[in-house]
Amino acid sequence: MAVSNELVVNATMSRNGNVPRIRRRGLSRGMRQWWPYYLMMAPGLIFFVIFHYFPIWEAKIAFEQLRIIPPNIWVGIKHFQTLFSSPIFWQVLANTLILSTMKIVFFFPVPIITALLLNEIRGGAFRKFIQSAIYLPHFLSWVVIAGVFIAVLSPSDGAVNDIIGFFGMQPVSFMTDTGSIRWVLVFSEIWRSAGWDSLLYLAAIIAIDQELYDAAEIDGANRWQKIRYVTIPGIVPTIATLFILNAGMFLNADLNQVINFSNDVVRSKIDIIDTYVYRIGLQTGEYSLATAAGLFKAVLGMLMIVAAHLLSKRLTGKGVW
Amino acid sequence: MAAHNVRRTPLERLEYAIIVSTLLFLVVLTVQPLLNLLAISFSDPGKVAGMSGLTVIPNGFSTEVWDLLINNSAVQRGLLNSIFITLVSTVLGVVLTALMAWALSRPGLPGRRIIFVFVLVTIVFEPGIIPDYFINKRLGLLDSYWSLILFKVVNAWYLIILVRFFEEVPKELIEASELDGANPFQIFWYVALPLAKSALATIALFYFVFHWNEFFRAMIYLNDQSKWPLQVVLRQFVVEGDKLAMVGVVESNTYTGASQINIRALKAGMILLTIAPILAIYPLILKFFTKGTMSGALKG
Repeated sequence: MAVSNELVVNATMSRNGNVPRIRRRGLSRGMRQWWPYYLMMAPGLIFFVIFHYFPIWEAKIAFEQLRIIPPNIWVGIKHFQTLFSSPIFWQVLANTLILSTMKIVFFFPVPIITALLLNEIRGGAFRKFIQSAIYLPHFLSWVVIAGVFIAVLSPSDGAVNDIIGFFGMQPVSFMTDTGSIRWVLVFSEIWRSAGWDSLLYLAAIIAIDQELYDAAEIDGANRWQKIRYVTIPGIVPTIATLFILNAGMFLNADLNQVINFSNDVVRSKIDIIDTYVYRIGLQTGEYSLATAAGLFKAVLGMLMIVAAHLLSKRLTGKGVW
Repeated sequence: MAAHNVRRTPLERLEYAIIVSTLLFLVVLTVQPLLNLLAISFSDPGKVAGMSGLTVIPNGFSTEVWDLLINNSAVQRGLLNSIFITLVSTVLGVVLTALMAWALSRPGLPGRRIIFVFVLVTIVFEPGIIPDYFINKRLGLLDSYWSLILFKVVNAWYLIILVRFFEEVPKELIEASELDGANPFQIFWYVALPLAKSALATIALFYFVFHWNEFFRAMIYLNDQSKWPLQVVLRQFVVEGDKLAMVGVVESNTYTGASQINIRALKAGMILLTIAPILAIYPLILKFFTKGTMSGALKG
């Protein structure tokens, strides 16, 4: 107890303006003052080393031939050459890019429009009611959402085919239709997260200076003119930031989503890099090739996120972190 | 705002009606599928067959489906597994994240910037599932709950959120406690944590939702079916369409014939059962997440 009190006194003294002097005394003095904080961080740091940094080292098997009896043989970029000469890999890469593009084009505007509409609602309780409903799917797992979509899109008794049937058309089995499965992914993404994402834009709208609206009112602006000339310009920085960040996550088509919406019929249309890695790695056991594919995605993904971060920071002052 | 309501042209009223109905349409799109499943699960099992996907009213009333689910051993085990994994990882996650965040939020901590970069790297660079699998294998965590509990036990994003929060704790408060002779652990416990109650609640909810919804790692790391969380049981039954996972080999014979109706209702009930804990904490989620996201966006 006495020891720790002494430490506290030291700490207090250093806070009271003696910092430079203490600093100059060197690291050991610093350690005596700060060790409790390093102790607090220790479990977290150990976790990051074991579960985040050690796997990075482990990824070296992408450059190795695995053998049952170690050591493994270093084979350089052989697995990458195999990967790049495999037509399936290019198909998977194309699927990833197509799905990401579709999601950006068709998902991205929905939360913005939703936020603009929500902002027009005058009753606070009514607005809260709408928000509570449309935020909910964001907190459901992809297993649950796939279950819901399988029910809704069922050709025999799903809601969508009931409507289609009402207009006298033939039912469509959307989940097993190669032409529609990508759209199912886009719509399920919208169903899940468009509502929740609108919150980010709504926050930006609420931060707009009310005086701008009052001034527009005095100038005789109607609802659309206020949206067009006050609200939208006010949220352009947020739109830009989120657009760049989404673009940075371009390669991260959602593994959890695809795995639950996939089946033998439509697999070729929605097989993405992540599901490919999972399949050839954990199901077929081609660990090195799978790790090479995963590493390819990780490096490209990292470059894109860092580029997005820097671009966003430069253009809008807000970054990823 | 009061002046706002005085004069409204018919056109403005029409515009408002269109806006309101568009949003209500979104609400229906979101909620109707879940209400439909609810209606199916409480319907008379004999009458489920002809039910439309559009209805939200049960056809007859019966709790048979729910009785079956609750008494199903696979569901019971799944439920217990999910609760255990979620609670342990949430508690552990909050404690470890809070400890690390508090230390990291102290200005002047030597090496603070380096540790920040160290954490950020884990966000932008993820070497993928194969190395992750190997590390769990090496540690002997395959087929163990710990492979799920320890996954992202300190989430880098939540850590950063909490650090930003702790940075706002007034310096005077800490200095006063130091003068009173409190050591760093006491300050953490008696000063920092009580101030951070709402931030900690937010983080706890984040962890809870994250772990409750996790299925991929459970699917690849747990071969032993008796350890499966509810999400994997649900996936096996609803997504993979594996009736045996739920109904059991023996019962599946007695179910044939009537099975179609019951399976549809069982699936509906199973989906809702998996959502139930999320629904139970949803008011808290709305309170804390919404506030957190709003203030985060405002601060920028």
